[in-house]
Amino acid sequence: MIYLDSAATTFQKPAAVAAAVQEALTGMTSPGRGGYRAAMRAAETAFNCRQELSELFGLENPEQVVLTSNATHALNIAIKSLVPPGGRAVISGYEHNAVTRPLAALSARVEVAAAPLFRPQAVTEAFARCIRPGVDAVICNHVSNVFGFAQPVEEIARLCRTRGVPFIIDASQSAGVLPLDMTALGAAFVAMPGHKGLYGPQGTGVLLCREGVPVRTLLEGGTGSASLQQEMPEFLPDRLEAGTHNMPGIAGLLAGVRFVRQRGPLEICRKERQLALLAAEELGTLPGVRVYAAPGLRSQTGVVSFTVEGRDPEEVGAALADGGIALRAGLHCAPLAHKSAGTLATGTLRLSVSDFNTREEIFRFLEAMRVLIP
Amino acid sequence: MEHYLILARSVTYAQRMQSTLERAGIRCAIFRAPRDLTDLGCAYAVRLAAGDLAPALPALHRASLDPVRVFLFQRGAYREVGS
Repeated sequence: MIYLDSAATTFQKPAAVAAAVQEALTGMTSPGRGGYRAAMRAAETAFNCRQELSELFGLENPEQVVLTSNATHALNIAIKSLVPPGGRAVISGYEHNAVTRPLAALSARVEVAAAPLFRPQAVTEAFARCIRPGVDAVICNHVSNVFGFAQPVEEIARLCRTRGVPFIIDASQSAGVLPLDMTALGAAFVAMPGHKGLYGPQGTGVLLCREGVPVRTLLEGGTGSASLQQEMPEFLPDRLEAGTHNMPGIAGLLAGVRFVRQRGPLEICRKERQLALLAAEELGTLPGVRVYAAPGLRSQTGVVSFTVEGRDPEEVGAALADGGIALRAGLHCAPLAHKSAGTLATGTLRLSVSDFNTREEIFRFLEAMRVLIP
Repeated sequence: MEHYLILARSVTYAQRMQSTLERAGIRCAIFRAPRDLTDLGCAYAVRLAAGDLAPALPALHRASLDPVRVFLFQRGAYREVGS
């Protein structure tokens, strides 16, 4: 299989990830649940994972790194900590349902900072118009999961700091690919999956929490600490980590994060953008294919959406799948992003690469497309 | 053998203390805290050799890791010596 759906989850992982999962399954129990060797090994692994993540994302205190089951879980905690029922939120026009559905569940009054694709200055200006006193939180993804559009989170963070509004960054598509320094940005929360650009197993996620920002629990239960108390502990990470940890996942995530730090996010990004640019430029030469990309993939990462005139993206995706090529068709759980880009009626085909893809795979994908679109 | 136990609010906090102390050249280990030393139930503690408390406390303070409580183990029993 040629796997080009890494925006959903990375499929090829570093060999160390599977080895770490296996080691956890056979040698670790649960952190904070005992003083025997298997429990302490689990605790060391979880701590090392928090430590590596805090160093990668510019956090001083590894206690502020909360291990979740995915980015959606992390975003739910962040949003429900800051936005009360009926509260006010400002979001970009490219948000995923992981942001819009929790806001809908809160019956929040949501204002969309609408701006055209691949126009970061327009995004900043739109947020500047919308961020005002009384807004409970600003939420924006660093990179659109549909279009790979890298949004100007540094500028949005600056607006939020100067106007005193908490900022939540959805780093689902950027973690491990683009630099992100939480302390410098001053964001209240940064949410991310562990299983995409950080190359951990599915079922892992991360919530980075700024010190002093109050957090609401989604789950209550055992934490291995303050057991006589019936309220959840006030301190992190325990407050947000009720129940038994996903140790195979956390061990695998640790191995994935170490891989990313060794390779370097900038080098990974450079490679992914080169592959995506090759695909985008060649796709653009095919008859009836519309590629959603700025020249040179300016303000874009290794994610490219495209459509084929007169063809249902699902049909094209199915034909590619028959040929052993995996990419994603449809709305990508982000109808707002498609609405903003004018692709809501049809959806798109989305190609997304990882550090493990090759130019040869892109050529084979392009060859398959030429056969499908004679 | 005489030693000190520095009580931590969680295993992660104990690990931060351990990491800080090791960077300061102070050897220590993490243990489950004896039940009768804790008011709130399950807890972890960092165990130090008797002579290491004096350099350990300022090192922890510099890292904003002030201990919950400190106990001295002497003649077969724990005695609280400060926090």
